Amino acid sequence: MNKKRLVSMLLVSAMTAALFTGCGSDGNQTSGDGTTSVRTDSTTEEAGIKEFTAFFGVAGSEINDDNEVQQLIAEKVGAKVKETWLTGQTADEAVGTMIAGGEYPDFIEGQTGTTQLYEAGALVALDDYLDDYPNIKNLFTDLEWEKLRQEDGHIYWIPQFSCIKNEEKVCAHNDEAFWIQARVLKWADYPEIRTMDQYFDLIEAYNAANPTMEDGTANIPYTILCDDWRYFCLENAPQFLDGYPNDGSCMVDPETLTVLDYNTSDTAVKYFRKLNEEYKKGIVDPESFTQSYDEYISKLSTGRVLGMIDQWWDFAYTAGDAIKQAGLDAQGCDYIPLPITIDESVKNQWHNAGGAFNSGSGLAITVSCKDVPGALKLINDLLDQDIHNLRFWGVEGVDYEVDENGEFYRTPEQRMQASDTEYKASHMCSYSYFPQYNGTSDDGINANKPDGQAREFFDGLNDDVKEAFQAYGVETYVEMLGTNEAPGEWYPMWSFSNNFNTSTPGGMAWTKIGEVKHEQLPQVVMAADFDKAWADYMDAYNACKPEDFISELQAELDSRMELAAKFK
Amino acid sequence: MIYGVIFYYLPLAGWAMAFQNYKPQLGILHSEFVGLQKFRMLFSDVTFLRVIRNTLAMGVINLVATFVTAIVFAILLNEIKSKGGKKTVQTISYLPHFLSWIIVTGILHDMLSGTGIVNEVLVNLHVISQPINFFAHPGYFWPIVAFANVWKETGWNAIIYLAAITSIDPSLYEAAAIDGAGRWNKIKYVTLPGIKPTIVILLLMNVGNVLNAGFEIQYLLGNGLVQKFSQTIDIYVLKWGISQGDYAIGTAAGIFKSLVSIILIVLANQIAKHNGEEQLF
Repeated sequence: MNKKRLVSMLLVSAMTAALFTGCGSDGNQTSGDGTTSVRTDSTTEEAGIKEFTAFFGVAGSEINDDNEVQQLIAEKVGAKVKETWLTGQTADEAVGTMIAGGEYPDFIEGQTGTTQLYEAGALVALDDYLDDYPNIKNLFTDLEWEKLRQEDGHIYWIPQFSCIKNEEKVCAHNDEAFWIQARVLKWADYPEIRTMDQYFDLIEAYNAANPTMEDGTANIPYTILCDDWRYFCLENAPQFLDGYPNDGSCMVDPETLTVLDYNTSDTAVKYFRKLNEEYKKGIVDPESFTQSYDEYISKLSTGRVLGMIDQWWDFAYTAGDAIKQAGLDAQGCDYIPLPITIDESVKNQWHNAGGAFNSGSGLAITVSCKDVPGALKLINDLLDQDIHNLRFWGVEGVDYEVDENGEFYRTPEQRMQASDTEYKASHMCSYSYFPQYNGTSDDGINANKPDGQAREFFDGLNDDVKEAFQAYGVETYVEMLGTNEAPGEWYPMWSFSNNFNTSTPGGMAWTKIGEVKHEQLPQVVMAADFDKAWADYMDAYNACKPEDFISELQAELDSRMELAAKFK
Repeated sequence: MIYGVIFYYLPLAGWAMAFQNYKPQLGILHSEFVGLQKFRMLFSDVTFLRVIRNTLAMGVINLVATFVTAIVFAILLNEIKSKGGKKTVQTISYLPHFLSWIIVTGILHDMLSGTGIVNEVLVNLHVISQPINFFAHPGYFWPIVAFANVWKETGWNAIIYLAAITSIDPSLYEAAAIDGAGRWNKIKYVTLPGIKPTIVILLLMNVGNVLNAGFEIQYLLGNGLVQKFSQTIDIYVLKWGISQGDYAIGTAAGIFKSLVSIILIVLANQIAKHNGEEQLF
């Protein structure tokens, strides 16, 4: 009897507690609305703060509902956004499901599904509003806005990442490269590595001399991420090896302005033959082609992986932070990019100056949004310099300090804090898929984001990276690779090809080629007989009518150059 | 009735999409009518034919495997004399049913990975010299799926058979014992005939489900290397219908699946009728 009474009292108190917390923070709106988290009753006003919903077609980390900086921003601009990210699906699938259901969040970034959203009439045309929002209007030049116009002459989305305000400040190489752990370079006394052969020779030699980490875990010499759309880590290296910039789906000859196919080039054969050799030697991780992105990140986080190809943003904020938090930088497990091409005579273009203007997708407002001016005002307000500082630097005195010259810097504790996942979720709120600036702040001193601040950047580097940079006589990741002029007006072609779908012959070919490459490139790498596997792959590849997609790319290239000529 | 009409029959109007060049912006009422063109496209697509093959193959393998193991398991369980032991085994065995596929695939991934328990054991027993990467071989995919299904559902499916077995009149067993039947003969001549109606009804219901060979497990376990054997009709609908924005072709594939399922169930029912067994309708 007593026991029962105790249990019931516990239950009652739990219920009451639940009731109180339910009323306290969130008022009338429920928080856990299941998997889709598309809410239509979006602009629930509470205490004068509008709440919008947003969905981004990329994987991301959700922040806590009572996030501190988010609340601070909400108080200043009168609005906040409940952000949801892609989980366990592709962007196309998520967007397709929303279209089929006909309900959208207020803001959406459809990534590769952007054209689908446009064709389904899900987006609000923004061009009539733009003049009222100077921060948004000033993000881009007239030519760039023109590039965003769709066939019907309207502008529907705002690319978030392409705006470089004032002078460009870059320290991190936010793009693709061959990465290698600092301990490997240190062991070999920081050699010059310029080609794939040298790269793999070094990894082999290191792994033969040091087959395990300090705690006895076996090294994984080289792994390849091959999960869904992230298989660029396997497939698109030939364009870089030939010294072309990242057009993503093709190479563009800057002289003749013609589209070249990197899938069939001689360099592609050499690259895959090399991977095949290394696979047979046991250097390439045998689980490469079956691992998921999560498994890959957890592998990198243990510090076991000596080298790989990847985009900086794809691993640095997850695995990179985990390495720092686990103190593995003391063992030299941080990654350094190397300027690798197929031959020493080819100049690398892993890094280019200027942003890649992605006209293919961006932040859009959907027809489900009941307060379009309010939504645009929010985007505009988030671009105010002091709000922008809050988003990317945090709170002064808590997340960063200001010295007597007005320059921002962080203490080592603040840096550690900034790479802590829990702290990021409860405190930081960068609205990372809303439009933002790179380059220099309006005060003329600071970078708009911490990773562009040269002193802060160098001070914040882990010791193993600093040591390597000093040995090579450089100060930033970019200097490791050397920078290049921004490519021509066509760049980047991926902003077009990302939106291919099966409604055009080129898109059909592109989709089929994707299927073939997903299946056969791993087979080529794993093949006992490389030449036969390659020949099979080429047969399957040519059966997809690659000429259709090349010609559509060429047409797009021509029209982009024409448009650019008008604005000269 | 009203519930049924609203939720089961009204949505069928959406089937109209399959006969149109459907564009979400125009809606069902204004999209261009193209007749059977989408179906023709579907059946001239080698990928779709391959997907049908995979679905059927995995469906049949799963059906047979889960069906047989569940019956055998129920009978074995029934033969256990100790009451406590029986209850414990039963509870443990149906627990996996409540795990979601994402967890089951996670466990499978860990068990079958290069450093997983299966490879470790095989290597240590010197059955193989190098760890096998199970997920890289198309040939292993169907057995892995079947195994996962058996592991997850055997205990659960056995419950119905256990219930059927308990409803068998104990006097039959006594009579059989008097006639000199041992354990084996009691199973053969009393238990099995006793649960035969249940078996037939469940078989009929499951035959209709053959084309629902699954979505989650194939979606979660599949990768580029095994895609020719891993993709089912449901994944095809998602990939070519929803992802590519071609809702018409997705609907067409869905209709095909429904029709085949109905045909299968009617056929199985007829066969049952013909043999004088229990029927669904």
